[in-house]
Amino acid sequence: MASATASSVSFTSLSSSLKKNQVSHLKKVSVSFGGKSFKPVPLRFRVACAAKPETVEKVCEIVRKQLALPADSAITGESKFVSLGADSLDTVEIVMGLEEEFEISVEEESAQSITTVQEAADMIEKLKE
Amino acid sequence: MALKLNLVNCQSQKYPSFALPQMASLRSPKFFMASTLRSNSKEVETLKKPFSPPREVHVQVTHSMPPQKIEIFKSLENWAEQNLLVHLKPVEKSWQPQDFLPDPASDGFHDQVKELRERAKEIPDDYFIALVGDMVTEEALPTYQTMLNTLDGVRDETGASLTPWAIWTRAWTAEENRHGDLLNKYLYLSGRVDMKQIEKTIQYLIGSGMDPRTENNPYLGFIYTSFQERATFISHGNTARLAKDHGDVKLAQICGTIASDEKRHETAYTKIVEKLFEIDPDGTVLAFSDMMRKKISMPAHLMYDGRDDNLFEHFSAVAQRLGVYTARDYADILEFLVGRWKVADLTGLSAEGQKAQDYVCGLPPRIRRLEERAQGRVKQAPIIPFSWIYDREVKL
Repeated sequence: MASATASSVSFTSLSSSLKKNQVSHLKKVSVSFGGKSFKPVPLRFRVACAAKPETVEKVCEIVRKQLALPADSAITGESKFVSLGADSLDTVEIVMGLEEEFEISVEEESAQSITTVQEAADMIEKLKE
Repeated sequence: MALKLNLVNCQSQKYPSFALPQMASLRSPKFFMASTLRSNSKEVETLKKPFSPPREVHVQVTHSMPPQKIEIFKSLENWAEQNLLVHLKPVEKSWQPQDFLPDPASDGFHDQVKELRERAKEIPDDYFIALVGDMVTEEALPTYQTMLNTLDGVRDETGASLTPWAIWTRAWTAEENRHGDLLNKYLYLSGRVDMKQIEKTIQYLIGSGMDPRTENNPYLGFIYTSFQERATFISHGNTARLAKDHGDVKLAQICGTIASDEKRHETAYTKIVEKLFEIDPDGTVLAFSDMMRKKISMPAHLMYDGRDDNLFEHFSAVAQRLGVYTARDYADILEFLVGRWKVADLTGLSAEGQKAQDYVCGLPPRIRRLEERAQGRVKQAPIIPFSWIYDREVKL
């Protein structure tokens, strides 16, 4: 027989390093209730498996380093490598850097579909599952 | 999506749309191939045409050298006469293909041919793929003479112009012409290859032409030819070495003789660029960086035999595996040229020039690293047929 418990669940949105117009992940939901236990359902996902904020941050860092961009330059999940000034060699090296940093191996086919920071981060998460 | 000029798309039939920003393969030197487009891509045509050879996909830029710089080449005509033409060999002192082939006027002709064929039997198919690819490249000579004559300031205006530049171009073409002739005759006599398929490949290739993205600009043009001559020197040098390993000393001599021509040509072209660095270091370093960013595309990258849509890729893979011409060689050539032209020591450059200098000097290790990573991957090299050898199969 289940005992009555008060559960408080809160999900925070992604870290503030992402701009507001970023992929919206879990909204801040604070649920407290007595009685039945209740599985909270995220309200809206833009991507199937959301990358962790630390992952996105690390990707941004690798991109920043590869492209020698100043520390305060705007790089977000939405940022396209090419728009940041990456040529094809940079893009390949970025993927190589991600492989090293996250200890993963990226298949050519997956590598070819990465054009933004977010896509890179999502792929990393998928490979690390 | 707009075509980005600085992206290298290596198109195969799997990716018909050139709009996809396809990333370079980490596994093979095809990263360094130029953009090609199959003409049945839905971006360009809705009808699928049979036997469609590849076409260049990048936008073709022309006359990128500012017209006032044409003066530079006019003013270098005396210099060219004194310093460039000396690298040509007089015809009377030049070797000819017949020097390396069975003598049809001799009674021993049939025996000589028999010996040639016996030696060739001992040479494996994959070597012949590399040799045929090199031969096809040489046979597309009309494209290269054309390319030299697209260059502002140095083109042969009439076909018989007497400027040192024009004299150089014609004489260079005449020397190169022997290479294709010699390899053609050797391959014909060897009996190891399907000449008709090879001849078809040549016809397609000359028809396709090539755009090395030199933009009528002799700075870009001579940097390109410097790179290419060294590349062919290395490549023919390797086929010579391998021929010797397979016990065919005569074939080794053939390849070695061609290689020594290429070396002499490399000396000439690098001398021109050295002079350009001397009189216009900023412009020349910018040109060097530009060519390297665009990547040096191989002259025969549009090769097609009517059957294989990825013929150049397949040929390159074999050449890579055999060590005939590799991604490592690409990096080595670049490093050689950086040293030859003393790029690291240039001073008084503009801000753009310094960026170009940094880019070019820093590029060889980046390419090497890429190549090491590609080599380090476990690869399943497929075995595929080549029409050049009657669809016999070779490992890529």
